[in-house]
Amino acid sequence: MNSLTSRQRKVAYAIAIVVLLVPIIWLGAPVSEDVEPGTQKEVSGGTLARMRVDQELGEATLGNIDPSSTAMNLVLLGLRGPAASLLHQNAIKYQERKNWGKLKSAVESIILLQPHYVEVWKFQGWNLAFNVSREWDRVTDRFYWVKEGMKFLIKGTGANQTATILFHNVGDFIGRKFGNSDEKKFFRRYFVQDPDSRFEGGADPEINGEGKDNYQVAFDWFIQANERDELYPVRGMTHVLFRKSPAQALFDYANATTEEGLFEASGKAWADAHEQWTQVFGNEIFRGLNAVTYKLNCTEEELKALAEENGVTLAVQRQIWAQNVNMVNYRFWENRAACERDPETVATRKAIFHGRQAYANGEISDSEDKNGQLQISPAQKLFEEGIAGMARLFENYPDLEIHDENRLTALLAVKYWAEIHKHNAKVPPDNHPLAEFAAHPDVLPLQSEVDLMFQRETY
Amino acid sequence: MEFDPQPFNVTFGLLKWGAVTGAITVLALVVGLVASLLSGTSGRILFFRGLSSYVRDIAAVSSGRILAVARLTLKESLRRKALAIFVVFAILLMFAGWFLTSANQQEALQVSVHISFLLTAISWLILPAVMFLACWSIPEDIRVRSLHTVVTKPIRRIEVVLGRIVGFGVVVVVVVVVMGVAGYIWIQRQVPESARDQLTCRVPVYGFLYFKDRTGATARTGVNTGDIWAFRSYIEGNSPARAIWLFDGITPEVLGDQINLESRFEAFRTIKGTAESVELGVEGQYILVNDRREDAFAAFCFSATFRPFCDELRDGQFQNAAVSLREQADATGELTNRECVTFATAAVVARDELNRLSSQVSDELRTSFTAAAAAFEDAAEAAEAVENDDDTAGLENLAGPMRALADSLAEHGDDLLEEMPRLEVALPSFHVTEYHEGQDRYEIPRELTYTGNYEALARFLAEVTAEWNEAGRLIKDNALAADLSNQLASETEMSVLNTELLVEVLQEEIDAGELTVNGNSLSVANGRRWLSYFDQLVRAEKLIPQDPEGWVLKADLYDDLVFDDTLRIEVACLNHQLFIGMARPDLFVKMPDRPFWVGYSKALFSTVLMLLLVVVIGVTASCVVKGPVAFFLTFSVFIIGQTFHSFMIDIVTGNVEGGGMLESVTLILQQRNPSTGMDASELTQTIIHGADTVTRLGLAVASQIVPNFSVFSDATAYVENGFDVRWSFSVLPAIATFFGFLIPCVLLGAAFLKFRELEAK
Repeated sequence: MNSLTSRQRKVAYAIAIVVLLVPIIWLGAPVSEDVEPGTQKEVSGGTLARMRVDQELGEATLGNIDPSSTAMNLVLLGLRGPAASLLHQNAIKYQERKNWGKLKSAVESIILLQPHYVEVWKFQGWNLAFNVSREWDRVTDRFYWVKEGMKFLIKGTGANQTATILFHNVGDFIGRKFGNSDEKKFFRRYFVQDPDSRFEGGADPEINGEGKDNYQVAFDWFIQANERDELYPVRGMTHVLFRKSPAQALFDYANATTEEGLFEASGKAWADAHEQWTQVFGNEIFRGLNAVTYKLNCTEEELKALAEENGVTLAVQRQIWAQNVNMVNYRFWENRAACERDPETVATRKAIFHGRQAYANGEISDSEDKNGQLQISPAQKLFEEGIAGMARLFENYPDLEIHDENRLTALLAVKYWAEIHKHNAKVPPDNHPLAEFAAHPDVLPLQSEVDLMFQRETY
Repeated sequence: MEFDPQPFNVTFGLLKWGAVTGAITVLALVVGLVASLLSGTSGRILFFRGLSSYVRDIAAVSSGRILAVARLTLKESLRRKALAIFVVFAILLMFAGWFLTSANQQEALQVSVHISFLLTAISWLILPAVMFLACWSIPEDIRVRSLHTVVTKPIRRIEVVLGRIVGFGVVVVVVVVVMGVAGYIWIQRQVPESARDQLTCRVPVYGFLYFKDRTGATARTGVNTGDIWAFRSYIEGNSPARAIWLFDGITPEVLGDQINLESRFEAFRTIKGTAESVELGVEGQYILVNDRREDAFAAFCFSATFRPFCDELRDGQFQNAAVSLREQADATGELTNRECVTFATAAVVARDELNRLSSQVSDELRTSFTAAAAAFEDAAEAAEAVENDDDTAGLENLAGPMRALADSLAEHGDDLLEEMPRLEVALPSFHVTEYHEGQDRYEIPRELTYTGNYEALARFLAEVTAEWNEAGRLIKDNALAADLSNQLASETEMSVLNTELLVEVLQEEIDAGELTVNGNSLSVANGRRWLSYFDQLVRAEKLIPQDPEGWVLKADLYDDLVFDDTLRIEVACLNHQLFIGMARPDLFVKMPDRPFWVGYSKALFSTVLMLLLVVVIGVTASCVVKGPVAFFLTFSVFIIGQTFHSFMIDIVTGNVEGGGMLESVTLILQQRNPSTGMDASELTQTIIHGADTVTRLGLAVASQIVPNFSVFSDATAYVENGFDVRWSFSVLPAIATFFGFLIPCVLLGAAFLKFRELEAK
């Protein structure tokens, strides 16, 4: 029996409700502002809400929420797994049957079901950019599908702000696929001047809003990936190799400018790459073996300080440092960038590049001027300039003489020069600046490769 | 794209249907009779009484009573909120844009994805609703005993079954029509504006495809470049490899003064190729060919021994062919039986073709054609008589007819060449764009200009010379006409440079005595025909053109290249080490486009038929089992018919690797692949194969009983890809399948309902 009156009971219930409301509000209040996914920014709100954000258990903390994705998952009740599995099978079937429209639509449906399954984004991004694109024949179509793969991955980064590797992959694909594939000559041009008439000769804004070079866009993505790495450390990849990507993208860009004859930009590009390599990458702290941290551009004092900080002996610290310096070829790239940014090197590269062009244009015959003086051909002049430049390069940067690429460039210049002499029925003098270098026993085996390169270029 | 439309063979379908339904009927009657006999005299009486009553029921079916039941069914469906499905459909259409928009930016893909979504949504939304309605209606009537009140009325059980089917059928038709109209408006609005011009139906006329390999030999398929999907096969670039299409019904009345071709070829590269091919795509070429000799003699190429003989015949070098055949006749002892069979088959083809042509040639040449045909027939008979490789007598007997055939070819070769032309018109090249549906289009005008090859030039010059000679315009005053060169240039398509060359060569030939002047006429010295004479002259390279354009000739598409209303188009790949891939439907003659709604309505009609068949199966099943069981039975039949029917056929016909069920299970358990086979003794393998034969037999029966539901989605696939395929290819198979199952199902359902116990358990 209850001795309380009706009024008393009601008051008691009201008090109980109020008392219970306090912990409920304290624990369960929702976050009071928009969650910025992938920022680990602290939010206000109830304990449970804050814990959900801290532990990254909520959809909002992982990435952008797609209402259609949520709707689809709700409609399927608990059958998301079987439905995704069926869609994966369909995607494979469509790919085998070359039904590209349905493949793309199946892939879009899969990611609606599994928006935070990073491997799906990685796999299908790769699949579209690398596998599907190669099924098409015309280079413009291939470019379209490579872009589709990139856009897919970029969409994946939006939905997965905590997946550092996806940001890295976007940079990797944009740099590597556009810059290294067989079609790179076309791809790099299309990246800036899209063949799709809708973009009116400009770049596709979805992947290249500012109309930059692909390596520069890759650099931006790698920087983003490194920033994510601070909050969400990447796993399954050597830390130093992961973090060197921005500098590597700048090296690739600088190299491309040299190869494509853009010498107005190449000096600065190499200087930027050198700065990124030595001042940024070289000064970063990396996680090494057994969680021992190290820095590549390290002085003796810094080495000692890090050894102390890591609680290891100086010898161990030095060993780990040296291993990683070698692994990323730190000194080589430092020297190479220093060499390539040198205006004299730029001039040398330029002379050889234009020499090859002059040879291809047939400007190889000697002529007589109006005074009857023999004028050597434009190509010969350029190669002589290049040969002298290469000799100075080897003298100024002796470490780079063993680099095969430099050796081949030098020998190829000599080969062109000698062939021009033959063409003009002259005997090439054997006292040219690279004569000693060319006759060196270490270099001689490269001659057959150079002959082949010459044949290929002049065929 | 993956469909290959084939016409539906109505006669074969009817015969097969008659055989299957007949066998099932006989089996059912025999089982019923045996069961009745086992239950004694009364059983037998009951059986025959029931059977006669059943037949009377069928004979006395009333459309009025069927419609009455149908009306009730319709009301019942409405009461059960069947139309609520429209709400779901509307919601789907409202939000579909979320999932579809910008899934693909290429226009053809956008259209395909939208149509595919809509038609799939219509089918799969209605499907569960009609299954529930059809499977639950009669069992529910039995459960609540409303059927008991119905059957007491003067209505037959077959009329109940038919009434139910008609009633649900009306529901299906109304729902599909409403959804179809709404969907049509939705597609028109939803498809991006830039892609709306893709919403049309192209009307294709498909041909027959075969290939020539890199050596020029006839082949059924081209090269396999390692694609998992062996739908297309490839021809090698810069080689004699060709893909050859034969199109029937090519007449000016049907197609007008221009033929439009559309292709969907694929490209394959073994090397990167030139910068031009990388940017523009692999280069191909259409060659229009009218080749009577190919049709008559190509079959000889199937034997390597007779390949030289075949090649000479194909080149029109009948004298050389005769020499080649005589050499074979001298060595018949070395022939194998297989080679004799090939020779006999090819000789029969040649005979038939020559006989066919003999009815179309002049009386003067007919004798030569019939004589050559007879010689081929004799040779064919002698070759057929060879029994095996060791039949020396047979092989010796073959030598005589072979020599006679060689003599006949030598004798009548000039006459045969006259009426067996090979005219090749190579059209300007094109680039393969791949997968851009509807972009690879090519227009062939009626008047064609082309650079003549040896034979075309010889025929042209023979024709012009004969005509001008007959008109007395070649010779004036016992010599070539003074202004002949200019006159020829102004009145024929020859350039002045080439007519000057021609006149010069004719004069040289007259001087050399190869041509003789008789009054106002010119003739070949040894009495040969003009064609034979010019053929020799051209092959001797005396008429190498002075004009850099070459001998530019003209041809009329229908008069010169279409033979018996058939146009032969050969496709060549022009780039070295690159390949072009194709399948039969990849090249077609394009008729004027039809509006999108034509193909769309065909797809909807097929969808209606599919849903009606589901209703028929559901109602039939519900006549004998309860609602849930009927539902799962119908659902299972649908899934098997939709997804696994072709797989069943593949297993039955042995097209699936891994053998039968037991063999597959054994291989899986032993973790072995089909190529290595089972790790078991011969006896065990024999037992397993024997058991598999039995299961395969069961599957063969099942494949005939379960309807192939995929035929109903063919029309959908066509419209998705922007085609309106002829109804006999797209809709007729669906109609035939529906009625093929409707009749036995109604009879079966009526029998179930008539002979079952109606009291609900």
